[in-house]
Amino acid sequence: MNARPADTHLDLEDLIAEVTGQPVDDRAREHLARCEHCRAEANRWDLVAGGVRRLAAATPEAPQPARPGGPRPTRLRVLAAPRRRAVLAAGVAAALVLVAAVGYGASRFVHITFGTAGPGASTVLTAVTGCTGLQQAVGTLEQVNGTSLVIKTAGGQPVTVTTTASTFVSMSGALRSDITDGASVVVHGPRSGGTIGAVTVTVGPPFSAVSSPGFVSVRGTVSDVSSAGFTLVTSTGTRVPVTTNGDTLVVVPHASLGQLRHGATIFAVGHAGPGGTLSARAVAAVSQLPPGVPPGLHAPAGAHLHISVHLRTQGHARNCSPSAITEALALGA
Amino acid sequence: MNDPHRDAGAATFTASHDGACDDVQLLRRIGQGDEDAMAAFYREHGRVVLAQVLLVTGERVLAEEILQDTMLAVWRGAASFRGESSARSWVIAIARRQTRDRLRSRRLRVVDDAFLADQPGPGPGPEVTALDRAELAEVTAAIRELPAPHREVLGLAFGSGLSLPEVAGVLEIPVGTVKSRLTAARTALSRILNEKGQNR
Repeated sequence: MNARPADTHLDLEDLIAEVTGQPVDDRAREHLARCEHCRAEANRWDLVAGGVRRLAAATPEAPQPARPGGPRPTRLRVLAAPRRRAVLAAGVAAALVLVAAVGYGASRFVHITFGTAGPGASTVLTAVTGCTGLQQAVGTLEQVNGTSLVIKTAGGQPVTVTTTASTFVSMSGALRSDITDGASVVVHGPRSGGTIGAVTVTVGPPFSAVSSPGFVSVRGTVSDVSSAGFTLVTSTGTRVPVTTNGDTLVVVPHASLGQLRHGATIFAVGHAGPGGTLSARAVAAVSQLPPGVPPGLHAPAGAHLHISVHLRTQGHARNCSPSAITEALALGA
Repeated sequence: MNDPHRDAGAATFTASHDGACDDVQLLRRIGQGDEDAMAAFYREHGRVVLAQVLLVTGERVLAEEILQDTMLAVWRGAASFRGESSARSWVIAIARRQTRDRLRSRRLRVVDDAFLADQPGPGPGPEVTALDRAELAEVTAAIRELPAPHREVLGLAFGSGLSLPEVAGVLEIPVGTVKSRLTAARTALSRILNEKGQNR
């Protein structure tokens, strides 16, 4: 943050801080709210940041060389040193710890719970605790107008959610129709007799792999889609049968507005705009949520969806960046 | 770990842990030879480091090898961590040196400071307009085409969770130079978008 005369444009450091969700002082925020030039600059940087984040999202998990199936030849060379082997073994142990800690009901990123409408049900926009200036809105998708969404809150009030090219949009639910031949996916579930029973299928570049005990995660291309599942073709050409059913959670971390289903529950996070609108940094759409996901959490008839997002910290501050929010939403959705 | 049901009834953001304190403790334990701590550190930072290195090198196998070299350096050097920077910026700085060494051995350059320092700022012009009209997918594709130094500074600023002073620390340059590099990277990005005719 920089001390700055009130009438001068924001410094690049302030713009970057705004885009990355780092602390920005009140004067900078106030200036941004009234300065079209600086908002345009922030949007440009946000778009650049979005591109970087999208590339990062497509990055594979850090390698776990001792994974069943054996290391690749290139990694054998890396494993040559005994101490290095110890380090990598530690990495595998870490993965197992992660597996144990990141079950659906205990994700460090996000939790989805169900319940009846609470005292805040009539609230249109609510502040995101700990993330200065961020607002959130939850409701049912009524319509999509170009780059805007109209959602209806639990209290029946309409809210317009505007998006830009850099807004991250994800969707999830029992969306088996989004698993199509040729799609790049990551299948996650238990393997039995050479067949994977898909618990989750992530379509397109995932944000991050979330694993669970006894499950495998396999990346590949979809082929031979049927009502019972599909064949997953891995990069080595191996064909793996995958079964799906109504409980299979399909996640599309990078969705377009046009893909969102009418009636889906929309969770949007961003900044308050004019006329009660929400200028969204991230939008998560949950539709046709399988009754068994998350395990043990079933939606009673007429219940409203409640979402609590757990953001990781960055130093001593919460990381309120679009990428952190989006990752949280996408992983939890 | 927070109670997942604690906030039922309202959509709320809450912090799960203090990463800075965790990292300092982890590095202290790693310095004492604690493999569990090393595992936790790997889990916490491995993917971000990999993403940054992959952004610079563009080669997955090489990036994974550099990650392993980096984590080996962490294992060996954790005891020397003084807490003068965040653990994230410290490990990324290690990864950057590892990357530079690897690419030097292949007679490639990862950063040409003179090249970057002389790049002009954008100012108003067609490049800004190009960025205004660009779609996210186009920007993502254009970033892949940037020279490695530009990709590096963009990755550090937007993909690694570092503040600009921390980016400056990793690159061992003043914050002002980081800003000029970012501006130069954005200008180059906009020019690519213009040249590709992806914006009308």
